[in-house]
Amino acid sequence: MRLNILIGGKAGQGINKVSQIVSRVLNKIGYYTFNYRDYQSLIRGGHNFNVLSISDKKIGSIESKLDGIIALDDKTIELHKNELKKEGFIIKCGDFCTIGKNVNIAQAGGLIKILGIQKENLIEEIKKEFGDNKEAIAAAEDGYKTKNSKFNLERLKNKIVNKIAIMSGSQGISKGAIDSGINLYLAYPMTPATAVMHELASKQFDNSSGTNLIVFEAENEISVANAGLGASFTGAKVMIGTAGGGFDLMTEALSFQGMAEIPLVVYLASRPGPGTGIPTYSLQDDLDVALRGGHGEFPRIVIAPGDPIECIEKTNEAFYLSEKFNALSIILSDKHLAESEFSTDRKPNKIIDFKITRKVPGEGIVKASSYEHDKFGNTTENSAIAKKNADERLKKYDEIKKDVKKFEMIKIYGNKNAKNLIIGWGSTKTVILDALDAIDGSIENPLKGKYKFLQVLYMKPISDEIKKEIEKASKVILVENNVTGQLGRLIREKTGIAIKNKILKYDGKPFTSDELKEEILKVK
Amino acid sequence: MTTQNKIEIGTKEEITWCPGCPNFLVLAAWKNALAKLIKEGYKQEDFVMCTGIGCHPKIYDYLNISGVYGLHGRVLPVCLGMKLGNPNLKALGFSGDGDAYAEGMEHFIHAARYNADITYFVADNQNFALTTGQPTPTSPQGFKSKAEPAGEYNMPLNPVKLALAAGASFIARINPKDLVHSQEIIEKAIKHKGFAFVESVQDCLIFNMNSKDLVPLMYKVDNKDKKKAQELADEWDYDKKDGKIPIGIIYQEEKPILEEKWPQLKKLRESGKGRKSIK
Ligand SMILES: Cc1ncc(C[n+]2csc(CCOP(=O)(O)OP(=O)(O)O)c2C)c(N)n1
Ligand code: SF4
Repeated sequence: MRLNILIGGKAGQGINKVSQIVSRVLNKIGYYTFNYRDYQSLIRGGHNFNVLSISDKKIGSIESKLDGIIALDDKTIELHKNELKKEGFIIKCGDFCTIGKNVNIAQAGGLIKILGIQKENLIEEIKKEFGDNKEAIAAAEDGYKTKNSKFNLERLKNKIVNKIAIMSGSQGISKGAIDSGINLYLAYPMTPATAVMHELASKQFDNSSGTNLIVFEAENEISVANAGLGASFTGAKVMIGTAGGGFDLMTEALSFQGMAEIPLVVYLASRPGPGTGIPTYSLQDDLDVALRGGHGEFPRIVIAPGDPIECIEKTNEAFYLSEKFNALSIILSDKHLAESEFSTDRKPNKIIDFKITRKVPGEGIVKASSYEHDKFGNTTENSAIAKKNADERLKKYDEIKKDVKKFEMIKIYGNKNAKNLIIGWGSTKTVILDALDAIDGSIENPLKGKYKFLQVLYMKPISDEIKKEIEKASKVILVENNVTGQLGRLIREKTGIAIKNKILKYDGKPFTSDELKEEILKVK
Repeated sequence: MTTQNKIEIGTKEEITWCPGCPNFLVLAAWKNALAKLIKEGYKQEDFVMCTGIGCHPKIYDYLNISGVYGLHGRVLPVCLGMKLGNPNLKALGFSGDGDAYAEGMEHFIHAARYNADITYFVADNQNFALTTGQPTPTSPQGFKSKAEPAGEYNMPLNPVKLALAAGASFIARINPKDLVHSQEIIEKAIKHKGFAFVESVQDCLIFNMNSKDLVPLMYKVDNKDKKKAQELADEWDYDKKDGKIPIGIIYQEEKPILEEKWPQLKKLRESGKGRKSIK
């Protein structure tokens, strides 16, 4: 069972509220949801929409054909009616002209009725959200009353009821940082990284996190990165966050990190570039710059989680590795992962607890330098020392390589013996899983399926297993949300193997699972 | 990152400034000031510096205090981070004029606005010395260099006026040739609660002997009045070689510092601990 409902309107009309209420009601009765947010770079007006996908099985994507449209304005119908299935329904804004400002709540009520869900579930959720606000309750009831049931989404008896939580990638990153004991998050606003700034800022006066967290907005990304290093030098656990353009501004400081060896975690959420690009849309186009941004040669760690729970785990690993190796860790995300709302039911791995043990200012004399330096941290131009230090930086990378083996650097889903291998990373993970299930149930039924999926989580260091997997397969397909297949290039660099079958999408929108399924089936 | 234990305010590093460079005097003033403060009870290990890149910032190698040899132009963000990391540290920033007013100009304005408890020292020799004498924003009109053989066309920037406009709570100028006075101003700057900006007007023996002619114009002030400060800032425009050049404290005011505004930092200040050791 799978339904896709588009909720559209002008920015500021309350589209997200509809998704939120409906998702929560559905999760409570045992259904999984995935909410894709499509919005323009403007604050009021324009055309924004969400697509809420609903299933009785775990999902992490949307489909291209719609079962229903909830239109907060007429333009929504005009723009999306071609995507509506023949038997699809529309809830118009005009259906609730008299309600006033709560039209969106009435529409949520109408949708719950159309889905055939008991009214109590709706009212309970509205009360949770709006308290005893009589107008909101009346609007929801009115919406519910006006529509007729079309589906019959009964309460499911699966075990996950009450275990499902709605989470975005940004919330996952924030949770992972708090679990790691973050003391300072520095950023300059830039979509799609900003959601982490907001999430952490909302938690900083919440003593339960116990980390005495500060979220500081500095004057630009150059300041963010340098201040991050300054704070980390004094013994704080620091993360800095940005998107592509801001990351470019930070790269000199990242290189400084490479020489000074002060621990630093960077959160990089990409959007379609180059330049200012399409700020509020999604592309996996910053893997290259994450791997190489910054002059000179120095070790780094680049990790790309693929869902909110992995965001929690991998952020924690990034903090741990940075501190252990005085290294730079970059967590790579994109708008689709950062801002889509997933229903999750998996518990994250146990938190890796770590303490800062290095000597910090206040405890003695400690020096860290962007110049090549001797063992006291003072400047040197001595070639022998320069070579020795370069060798040591290289050796450190070898140690990192060994240590990360204890983490999940790749994951394999589906039939381990399947000859058809799909390779992907980051936000395409969950859509690939959905597409393979739609083909032959490969993920649900690993013994029967013809496909397996290799998800790459560690981009640097990269796993040696990838080569083995490719060599075992007879058909390899690379799936990426970018123009040139950046992971494919990285794999070629590390293994010498060029993956010829590439499914690439780069219009700023994520793959839909049905279209991806067709693309995969097309590969002969 | 590396650590060092012995308590001695200077280091044994070979000093690579040109013989006679005013930076030697600056180093002496700083060493004297720090030694005096440590005698008064400041802890040597609580000082933490960040230096930029240039001739003057080599001072990093010559001071035996904790610190970061940062990037060109990015001294103040690192100092800010140090205060956000552990507000109990005494953060000191060292820049040349190119570092402070060209590459890192935006940070200067914002550091004054944030008013974190940072002492910022700018050795203004009115040129980019370490890159062989190109003009900086404070080079006088007509300043000739390999980069601008026809001479600098623009009027120099007046950093003292800028600092006032940006809200710096302590603004001073020194003449390093007056060692005792310089040391005294540095001490006061460190003791000042808030962003303290100290500019040293000094020669570069190789690329700019300008300030030799400026010394006779210098006179001492000690001012706390804002209006008067504006007048004092206007007395020298960094271009002309006549009139008067005030040195000493041009402006000082008490106002809330960044570390008092954030409850999280207040908590660290009250505990006297940094992030590593606080529970
Ligand atoms: C990003 C960057 N740009 C340029 C340089 C080259 N550079 C090194 S020192 C310097 C000039 C320093 O001049 P100033 O700050 O006035 O200090 P001085 O040498 O005069 O003491 C420059 C431009 C650099 N290190 N980094
Ligand atoms: S070039 Fe000028 S500033 Fe640099 S060391 Fe020589 S005299 Fe001093």
